[in-house]
Amino acid sequence: MLLAVLWLLLGWLDASYLYRLASMALVFGLLAASANLITGVAGMMTLGHAAFYGVGAYTSALLSSQYQFSPWLTLPLAGVTAALLGGLTAWLTRRLVNVHFAVATLGIGQAVYVTLLNWVDFTRGPMGITDIAPLSTASPAINLGLVMLVFLLCYLVLERTVHSYYGNALRALREDEQCVAAMGLDPAKLKIQVMVLGCFIAGLAGALWAYSTRYVSPGDFRFSESITILAMVVIGGLGSLPGAIMGALLLTLLPELLRSLGDYRMLVVGSIMFGFIMFLPKGLIGEYSALRVFRSHLKALEQS
Amino acid sequence: MLDFFDVFLVQQLLNGLAQGLVYALIAIGFTLIFGVLNVVNFAHGEIYMLGAFAGLLAIQLLAPPAFAVLLLVAAAGLVLGVLLERVAFRPFRRFNDEASLKSKALREATLLSSLAISIITRELMQLYVGADMQSIPQAYLLMTPIQLGPLSIASGQVLIFVTALLMFLLLQWLLFRTRLGLSIRAVSNNRLGALHVGINVNHIIIATFAIGSLMGAVSGIVVGLYSGNIFPQMGFSPGIKAFVAMVMGGLDSIPGAVISAIVLGLCEALSTDFVSQGWSELISYGLLLITLLYFPRGLFGKKVERV
Repeated sequence: MLLAVLWLLLGWLDASYLYRLASMALVFGLLAASANLITGVAGMMTLGHAAFYGVGAYTSALLSSQYQFSPWLTLPLAGVTAALLGGLTAWLTRRLVNVHFAVATLGIGQAVYVTLLNWVDFTRGPMGITDIAPLSTASPAINLGLVMLVFLLCYLVLERTVHSYYGNALRALREDEQCVAAMGLDPAKLKIQVMVLGCFIAGLAGALWAYSTRYVSPGDFRFSESITILAMVVIGGLGSLPGAIMGALLLTLLPELLRSLGDYRMLVVGSIMFGFIMFLPKGLIGEYSALRVFRSHLKALEQS
Repeated sequence: MLDFFDVFLVQQLLNGLAQGLVYALIAIGFTLIFGVLNVVNFAHGEIYMLGAFAGLLAIQLLAPPAFAVLLLVAAAGLVLGVLLERVAFRPFRRFNDEASLKSKALREATLLSSLAISIITRELMQLYVGADMQSIPQAYLLMTPIQLGPLSIASGQVLIFVTALLMFLLLQWLLFRTRLGLSIRAVSNNRLGALHVGINVNHIIIATFAIGSLMGAVSGIVVGLYSGNIFPQMGFSPGIKAFVAMVMGGLDSIPGAVISAIVLGLCEALSTDFVSQGWSELISYGLLLITLLYFPRGLFGKKVERV
């Protein structure tokens, strides 16, 4: 049902001139959804999500602008590169819990940002990469459609992952790692799998971002972006997939609607985040209610 | 002795030491607060920034002697610490039972609320004073070079060194020689136990925040006096470095954090010999990852029995 609402909303946006805005919202929706998988469902607080997003964006930008790879090749490649980095991160940090994991991801995020900024020969440093070819040479509407297609695919994958027995195992991992191990599951393996999947989607989102703005620079992948993504997840409700999408929509569209505010973007992000933590800690759509909706949906399917 | 060394190298080491002590100054307050509450206070870098601005304000309005500026900033830090605790931390301490003390969700909520407060503070300051660097009036700058043979040290570096040493010693005295310190250590060791022996945990936590933020604010103005410019973003990068130092030191060990901070500063200064300034940032993150991987308890953390 929520998906239908989202579709309707996008259909409305499709008709207007807001292509860029729509693809931005979709990209951040993907980012928030994947961060939700890692932080909300599996409980691994990540403070460096923008790094994987950035790696994906740079992979596709470099491959398409330097080597003229077609988007259909660079999209998965961007995802794979980010997933490799994510898997490596998870493998290295598989025994770290709580704040240690958060610090490690913060360190990796900053390291990637510094690398993007300083490896001038390869990434062109702070100048960024310009002249990235669009997804297809057809009309912008078709490009947006393609972005929407990728978004939907990823959303379906995430939805099936989060609302399954596997998703329950991840929730157990969040609540109590020792308990998961006692039940015969390997927490390290689960963590690596979650990071690989989450970062693959973040990498895809990065590639979509590169193709839709046609310009990437390290400034887009700073620590504050990681925080914004985290804020989206918190606003939507940790662990709730539709909530993450709602949070992403809220935090991308609201600053755009309040364009006149200009510099206030991060202020709005911070205040909204603070307000939600204080007064609505479960988020817009809490995990419990989100799960209940999906489960009743499943039950209805079974009965019919 | 100096003949053996390249003068340039020694100079570089001295600069690194000063930089490391800047990180150490922030890390001390950071670690103190972490030790008591067991949550990361992301807003500490903002306290540092606000301390610098409070000092600037004091200089512009009253133009007091430098020592009085430090006192005023310390008072401001005290107030800011109490405020910060009230706004971002108190609301999550409604429950004192064991389950919620260990609850991951509550701890994460506190972490996020301090993060949100830090963003709000930084952005508000940016709107209010602008993102540009504000310069400290010339008369207050501590840039007078002091010649030591072939080496030269800025007087600000001496001040940083003295402040770091004083703060460290004062804190050790406070923690290990006073009743307040005893209570702080009790709360940090076991909050429920402290409650049971009649310690007012709330007061102790507020006091810890006040002390930690006082140190953060004073280090802000000291660094401001030395470097000569302060800006709303100034707390971010040293804040992260102090965070790294705290983790490297083992999360709750103040001497460990200080040593790690100095190591970080030295490594960064030395690395500029080999790589450009931008890359030297990478050194501390690399060190952080290595520590986390090979010494998850930190370099100076408590040994914990493994099951």
